[in-house]
Amino acid sequence: MEADVVRSEMVLPPVMPFKRVQMGDKYQKGQSRGRYWKHLKQLLQAENFISLPLDEPNYLNIESPPSMYPSKKYCDITGFEAPYVDPRTKLRYADPEVFKRVRNLPNEHVQRYLALRNAAVIIR
Amino acid sequence: MGEIRIARQTDYDLFSPTTPIVIDNGGSTFRIGWAGESDPRIMFRNVAFRPRHRSTGETVTVVGEHDPALFKYFDCTRSSWRSPFDNNVVYQFEIMEYVLDYGFDRLGASSSMAGKVDHPILMTECICNPVYSRAKMAELLFETYGVPSVAFGVDAAFSYKYNQNLGICAEDGFALSIGFMTTHSIPILKGEPLPEGSCRTNVGGYHVTNYLKEVLSLKYPYHAPSITWEKAEELKREHCYVAPDYPSELQIFKKETKEAEEKKWVWQLPWVPPPQEELPSEEELARKAAIKEKQGQRLREMAAAKRSQKITDLENELHVLETLLSQLDEAELPEVASSILARSGYLSRQEIESAHSRVSQSLRKARGEPAVTVEENTDTATSADKYPLVSIPDEMLTPDQLKEKKRQIFLKTTSEGRLRAKQKRAEEEMMRERQNQLEEGRRLENPELYLEELRAKYKELSEKIDQRKRLKTNGNGNGNGNGTGNGNNVSGGTGRGERLNAAQRERMRLLTTALFDKGKGEDTFGLKDEDWQLYKLMSKDTDDDDDDVVDPDEAELERVAAKLQEFDPSFVGRAEAELMQSTQEPPRPRALTAEDYQVVLGVERFRCPEVLFQPGMIGEYQAGIDEIVSHSLRRLPNLDSSIKDRMCQSIIVTGGGSLLPGLEQRLETGIRATRPYLSPLKIVRAVDSVMDAWRGASVYAASELFSTQTFSLEDYNEKGEDWLKRYNIVYSLYD
Repeated sequence: MEADVVRSEMVLPPVMPFKRVQMGDKYQKGQSRGRYWKHLKQLLQAENFISLPLDEPNYLNIESPPSMYPSKKYCDITGFEAPYVDPRTKLRYADPEVFKRVRNLPNEHVQRYLALRNAAVIIR
Repeated sequence: MGEIRIARQTDYDLFSPTTPIVIDNGGSTFRIGWAGESDPRIMFRNVAFRPRHRSTGETVTVVGEHDPALFKYFDCTRSSWRSPFDNNVVYQFEIMEYVLDYGFDRLGASSSMAGKVDHPILMTECICNPVYSRAKMAELLFETYGVPSVAFGVDAAFSYKYNQNLGICAEDGFALSIGFMTTHSIPILKGEPLPEGSCRTNVGGYHVTNYLKEVLSLKYPYHAPSITWEKAEELKREHCYVAPDYPSELQIFKKETKEAEEKKWVWQLPWVPPPQEELPSEEELARKAAIKEKQGQRLREMAAAKRSQKITDLENELHVLETLLSQLDEAELPEVASSILARSGYLSRQEIESAHSRVSQSLRKARGEPAVTVEENTDTATSADKYPLVSIPDEMLTPDQLKEKKRQIFLKTTSEGRLRAKQKRAEEEMMRERQNQLEEGRRLENPELYLEELRAKYKELSEKIDQRKRLKTNGNGNGNGNGTGNGNNVSGGTGRGERLNAAQRERMRLLTTALFDKGKGEDTFGLKDEDWQLYKLMSKDTDDDDDDVVDPDEAELERVAAKLQEFDPSFVGRAEAELMQSTQEPPRPRALTAEDYQVVLGVERFRCPEVLFQPGMIGEYQAGIDEIVSHSLRRLPNLDSSIKDRMCQSIIVTGGGSLLPGLEQRLETGIRATRPYLSPLKIVRAVDSVMDAWRGASVYAASELFSTQTFSLEDYNEKGEDWLKRYNIVYSLYD
């Protein structure tokens, strides 16, 4: 290890004296550990909330319902109010100058703007 | 955030095993310290990173923030910073373990001889944490760290309790905790949180920073590499604010008033002006000119030498031919003549004469004298001489002569045609010359107007061509895309109700009639040759390729463009313009200035925090943080309205996301809109929104009755998962 890396102690040592089981023993080298952990969605599915009584609060219960205010449409590029939508790219825009910019955007930027609004169509 | 390098604490052993360690396990920051203290000892970003060390090749773990310069020793491309959280729930316990390792180590646990972390642990979690996550966390603490007892609590409740003890809020109220990925509204009644009334919306500080980062990167793609997550957080922390009324704030900026100018903030990126090119000094110029002169002279000398060489060669040849001719003239006997001819290699006297004339012509040309147009004479000679038989009527000729006559007629017409073509070309040249002169005259007398006209013509032509191209590509795109996308489905684009242009309709008609009719009988499509012509008609790809004729509009466009290039200093060619647009760079006919390296935060300053109030801006169709309070209240129908009023007078805003200026005012407006008219409302920010959760937990853990709220490994094993699901601490511990 280089001297300044050692000095900064940024790397975790492989053996920690206050642990009963060290990381190296717990997680064998070379095994893919990412798939081992359940993501939140899978966690919640496993919880089986439907079988539980409805009035007891649980993680899904306390989720907020949709907003009671109708969502306002804002221009994707400038942020002002956007009464118009470009039919080709489905981006919202506020006035004709912005429209010119919208039409001149490369496709990558169009997709990123849409993804920002969670409106991009993901083709897998 | 504090210093990047965290010093290891040295007093770990001074704490008795009964002193609990308090951990605030937050989505953005991990805080750890001792119970009873006012500040956590260690704080760092709750992320871990596993790069490969370049020289040794082993994979190491790095937790929290470190000096970025040190990362050059590691290969950081294959791995990224990972968090143990998914939304606000811990799911990745390997990373959690790395984080805990680092936290305990820096707290000084490595100096202890105990072989385990021999202190009770109080850890924070989100409200209604799924039992799987809780169980796994308890397992980790018990089995890997050997912790004797564990307690879990909600960070927002701890913050509320802390502020309650300070007198900021009452026993009944709301804790509005704006976290990293989520925001919770938790009603507190008699000092205890009511999970059944709490409400969570999935927007938090992360979404604000991410929105800012994305919007700036898209607005300034040239500077995208400089707009990192850390920079975006810094900009958010320093310059973002919440607009008291979003639409009117937008109007201020839209109208570009002076107020808007003041509110804009400019981030100047580091920029070095390009070094001024020194004007070459006088002697430099003189030297360069001299060198060029010399080179020119050398070339000229070489050309002259070649030319004189050629002249001497030709003269020699001429001389030889002349001697031959004179020999032939002198020879009286035909045998002598033929022998001379045979020796010289020429077949007849005429050949020698023609060769002679040729050589003398080229000699004259080489010498620079005007060539005597001997060839012209043959052309201008009367056609009667050249084509003697043409004028004689048919009856008087023999069959051979007739054939000869036909040949001569053919030759005559072709040569006449050639003449005519030449004349026409000369005429066109003259006309074009005259036009150019006219234009020149017009330009010189009124340069401005001329430029204007040219520019207008250029724009018109380019628009026309663009439109035509777009129609074609639209049609092509529709037809081809549909064809390939739908496989055998012939009806293609009509299903989507798109309007087909004439060409597409024609294509459709051809396809449907030629290929798919004939219900009865056999398919006789390919039997006639004409049928295959259909493909030619249908195929639109051959449209442009078959056109050998250059589009007259495009030719005109080229001409106008050339003229503009010459005369208009600010003209940018169409091809260049298209290239520029596709790369999204500003046109650079001028040098870069300091302004090109500025990132202006105008609307973005209040647009990004608006995400908290209108999650629809990022596509989350949930309530904003002002609305969730009303949802919380609705979930408590059994409460008396007087209690609700009392609760609304004691709303605490806590959590890192609450540091935005203008937040409380906006919250008040928002919540007031959901409450009955003139009902009491009071919103206060926590004393220290970021630290109060840990502080509250520290106070809690230091109280004597804390040990009644913890559970140990035996409890966990005995009572099982169901009990763990219902486990909740009591927050009001009164000694």
